[in-house]
Amino acid sequence: MNPITADRRHFEDLALGEVVGLGQITVTREMIVSFAREFDPFPFHLDEAAAKKSLLGGLASSGWQTAALTLRLLTDAFLSQIASAGGLGFSDLKWKRPVMKNDTITGTARIIELRRSRSHPQWGVLTIELDIRNQNNQPVMTMKLANLVEARSPVSAQPESAE
Amino acid sequence: MTRWFEDITIDEPFPLGSHTFTEDEIVRFARDYDPQYFHLPGAGAEHSHFGGVIASGWHTVVMGHRKMVDALEAEEQRLRGLGEEPGVSGPGAGVNRMDFKSPVRPGDTVTYTLLVSAKRPSNSLPGWGILTNQLSAVNQRGEPVYHAELIGFSKLRDFKMPLRLRILKALTKIPGLGKLLRNRS
Repeated sequence: MNPITADRRHFEDLALGEVVGLGQITVTREMIVSFAREFDPFPFHLDEAAAKKSLLGGLASSGWQTAALTLRLLTDAFLSQIASAGGLGFSDLKWKRPVMKNDTITGTARIIELRRSRSHPQWGVLTIELDIRNQNNQPVMTMKLANLVEARSPVSAQPESAE
Repeated sequence: MTRWFEDITIDEPFPLGSHTFTEDEIVRFARDYDPQYFHLPGAGAEHSHFGGVIASGWHTVVMGHRKMVDALEAEEQRLRGLGEEPGVSGPGAGVNRMDFKSPVRPGDTVTYTLLVSAKRPSNSLPGWGILTNQLSAVNQRGEPVYHAELIGFSKLRDFKMPLRLRILKALTKIPGLGKLLRNRS
């Protein structure tokens, strides 16, 4: 038994269709510039004058920063509350609208798939659909994220399981 | 991509360079964006199936983006050095798939490679082409770290704007009328 995750919700405790409300985070100029310096140093993420002249029309966060902040919201509201065993990846990530300086983002995570791992009976695979919006309820980003979750009882998967 | 849409060759690997992940930066990223116990020292990572601290998969991915930005900037400088005018790349539109293959531990070195697997002119954005980018990351033992399929944009060099769009563009330059047109659309 893993002492870190023993008291957390396991694979068997999760329900298909369950919706988790995420917290919110306001993206400041300092956050945008600091992330861009390290991971996305395009002038339109670093400099307000360059940003005004760009397609974005003003200082906006890197799409990857929006994704990373979403991961933080998801970790706090959900992944740290369950017996997470690590991410498998994600799919269908769409950046719908830039996150501008001082925008506040929030959203929901919905469980859209739960299945047992075929190769690892101690794990289940959880798929979450994320819908991230700004303070005007406009869509900012959507994606699907797959994560491993420890199961309480290791049983072999149903034959239709893909992994 | 700092090459014009017309100049981009399909299935040609474009090396983006390597990055060594120190424990310090792994922890710093995890504290900000992914504070799960297997990304933080002293939080019980040894009890996870990883057996110790590993980097957030997202950390390895955003570093791959950084390597791509740097490599494209270097390519732009190279083309300017040859007296050529570099192309223009547009913002990323999204990611079709991102599959994490093996964890990155402190001290691991990850090498990134970009390859354009398909391209076509955009229907919705005149003057731009849509690229299907394959990004692969491997560690110092040659094991895959992740593979991603991303959608990008690149400007067409030989684009001739249709008359209808040219008139519209000219009209938006007239003060007052331009604002009116933009607000209507």
